[in-house]
Amino acid sequence: MPSSFSGGVFSDSLNGGRAGADIQLLPSGIAATCPDGEAFVIPYHGCDVEMGGYNGKMVFCRNADRSLTFFCDDRKFASALSLAALGTLDEQLNVQRKRQRGESRRSFVYSIAFLVSMLVLIVAGYFGIRAGANAAVLTLPTSVDVQIGETAMESMDLGGPQINDEVVVDALQSIVDRLAPAAAVEGMQFRVHVVDSPMVNAFALPGGNMVVYTGLIESAESPEQVAGVLAHEMSHATLRHGLQRIGQSLGIWAGLTLLIGDASGLMGAGADLFQAASINSYSRDHENEADLEGVRMLHAVAIDPAAMAKFFEILEEKHGDLPGIFSWISTHPDHASRIANIRASVGRLPPQDYRTLEIDWAEVKSHAHDHKQKPAQDL
Amino acid sequence: MQTEIRDRPSFANIRVLLAPGDEIIAEADAMASMSSSIEMKTQWSGGFVKGVLKRLFGGESMFVNTFSTATGGELVLTQPFPGDIQCIELKGNTMFLQPGAFIACEPGVKLGLGWAGFRMLIAREGLFRLKVSGTGRIWFGAYGGIFQREIDSEYIVDSGHLVAYEPTVSIRIALAGGIFSSFFSGEGLVTRVNGPGRIYMQSRSFDGLAAWTNSHLY
Repeated sequence: MPSSFSGGVFSDSLNGGRAGADIQLLPSGIAATCPDGEAFVIPYHGCDVEMGGYNGKMVFCRNADRSLTFFCDDRKFASALSLAALGTLDEQLNVQRKRQRGESRRSFVYSIAFLVSMLVLIVAGYFGIRAGANAAVLTLPTSVDVQIGETAMESMDLGGPQINDEVVVDALQSIVDRLAPAAAVEGMQFRVHVVDSPMVNAFALPGGNMVVYTGLIESAESPEQVAGVLAHEMSHATLRHGLQRIGQSLGIWAGLTLLIGDASGLMGAGADLFQAASINSYSRDHENEADLEGVRMLHAVAIDPAAMAKFFEILEEKHGDLPGIFSWISTHPDHASRIANIRASVGRLPPQDYRTLEIDWAEVKSHAHDHKQKPAQDL
Repeated sequence: MQTEIRDRPSFANIRVLLAPGDEIIAEADAMASMSSSIEMKTQWSGGFVKGVLKRLFGGESMFVNTFSTATGGELVLTQPFPGDIQCIELKGNTMFLQPGAFIACEPGVKLGLGWAGFRMLIAREGLFRLKVSGTGRIWFGAYGGIFQREIDSEYIVDSGHLVAYEPTVSIRIALAGGIFSSFFSGEGLVTRVNGPGRIYMQSRSFDGLAAWTNSHLY
């Protein structure tokens, strides 16, 4: 067992009150020698022993009037001190060891409890915020959706110029107008914006603005297939999925802010989230909801909803390998199961006398392909 | 070697007058200006592995610069953020510094990295702490002013304000008050330190600055 250890001294007689020291366990007591040669001794019989320090295991030896303190964090020091003091300090050492073990156990239990609590809090908070945000958002008037959608529409990069070819725009608007009476929300104004871009894509903004890319029009074999896409996108607007996403994002941000204690940046951060959340892809649940609602709308206005599933299949077949930003279907994951769900939903519908859309689709596609770019107009 | 801490406390910097044969070791990028007679040698901070560990976990640079001169000269060292600088002299004892606090030391001081534990992470003080030991002066910096306390019983420091402390000091993380007041007083978790030993604290915290800045961004 070593009798010399590296440690330190607290003493008012030292310049600065402390110094590192070489601690030696002598037969008469504990001796400490500082780098400048100054030496101190605490006899064993007048020594108070405590444990603590940064790791809880540092041993402190104090003289009777506590004017002199030695400390050492060598793991073997306590045992060596016990041997050198011939057991006279064992009672104190055992009390301190027991206290230190108790604190370690408490600390371990508290740490585990803290981690588990944080985990539970995060999980419960996430789902609680989702549910709460959804409920709160749905109580807002639809005018809020309209304002957000208009703001996002004005400020976002659509990825190409808007076109005003009447053949194309009027054809799509006529489909939307036929679908509108079946919308779940009354009074929402649906407006179609056509953007010249090879992207096979379409999206809806809160409030009823919808953007359809010419690439998608050219991919569709019939107006009913585009009606399926438009019904799906209108459903996102009527089911207020965009606002729900914003609400959830803000709600999660608010929860995090509550935890970290700064609530003042909340509204500012929300301004950015409005736009980002509006154009981000929807969750899988929202996509499934929009599919089913779209099928309901198509059926209600006597447009064959099977065309929606058919268009999914065409896109998967023709454009399945396109990156997500170029393909509408690629931004909607697990489309095989979605196609199956749509077909199952269609199968459950009561009989309906479906009417074809009176649109010369070949001409629309031709215009979408060959149109001349003109300044954008309000639709 | 003569040194002087100037422009305290807001924009403190260290003016070092090196005599021939003197050396001072400084954190990389700490040098603000120096005489042309001073030579600078860059080396790994404690070797490659320790240097990388200090960079990753200690908030310090992988490298340290050693400044020396054959004829004498002046050197000015500083820190990247506004605040005070403190000089302490080690006499074979050890100090723990929070990540990013170290600025410079004399050659007799050894720089190491110590595990601080998850409780220090929860207290926003970092998983690791810089351990300085040996003999000689060290300079460390803080955001805002630096004040010290000699403690022999429990003392409470808000998280993010502890800059340096002796290894004899024990640290516990605890709620500032009850559950309600801890969450809504803005204090949250605090550090309960217990002596004997000396602690150094900064009058401002980076978390406070970040929160304040964030609230004024929009």
